[in-house]
Amino acid sequence: MPDSLVTLLQALLLTLGCLFFLVGTLGLFRLPDTLARIHALTKADNLGLGLIVLGLLPSVPGPATAAKILFIWLVALAASATAAHLVARTVRASDSRSDREDGA
Amino acid sequence: MKALDAAIRTAWLFVAWWALAEGEAAAVAFGLGAVPLIALLSWRLFPPGARRPRVLATFAFGGYFLVGSVAAGVDVARRLLSPRLPISPGYMSYKTSLPAGSPRWLLANTLSLLPGTLSVTLRGPEIELHCLDTTAEVHDAVARAEEHIARMFPL
Repeated sequence: MPDSLVTLLQALLLTLGCLFFLVGTLGLFRLPDTLARIHALTKADNLGLGLIVLGLLPSVPGPATAAKILFIWLVALAASATAAHLVARTVRASDSRSDREDGA
Repeated sequence: MKALDAAIRTAWLFVAWWALAEGEAAAVAFGLGAVPLIALLSWRLFPPGARRPRVLATFAFGGYFLVGSVAAGVDVARRLLSPRLPISPGYMSYKTSLPAGSPRWLLANTLSLLPGTLSVTLRGPEIELHCLDTTAEVHDAVARAEEHIARMFPL
């Protein structure tokens, strides 16, 4: 592929990645509660980061750096899924606590 | 078997070190000494599970996960950008047949990154999910994720 085409593709991927981050943030404003907001953040940011990593891959200096940024994506995925689960669990626990208090 | 497991884990740790050091020769040489020590420590802290993930099934899962991630991001973006905000959130419970330990954790984490589902609590085989759209076919999607993971960890 000619270089200019690769650069164009990279610009496209990076822009698209940033747009997904933007949409995820939009979710914080539009969605009604914490759990629904977590949906938007985890899923949109996961894809956004993936697209940014993909867009950066052609410009890395070598295979080790390529492996490093892919590794960053994987670790960020694991962290975001785990953090999402922990926040969701805490929300659920405090919800059922206030339910009981309301019933009493 | 145990020696092979240890060799595989050490090799993966070395690849991780090589990536972190961005392939710089001096740092990689340092890793030759450091990685076996780290492998030893990790072996003590996290002894290997009874099941070693199958290579082919792991790749299949990776592909399935990538497609699912894209679908999840696009799905959530479509809902957020639509003026009507088409969501109908609610809880759903799913009973998994996967064994306790890493297979169950992997399922819970995977579901959080797939379209429309978020793992809330994990009690034994019972996974409580929060769904962005309870009118969608959530149950089948969860069963598919479960099947992929079951193939990775043969019983």
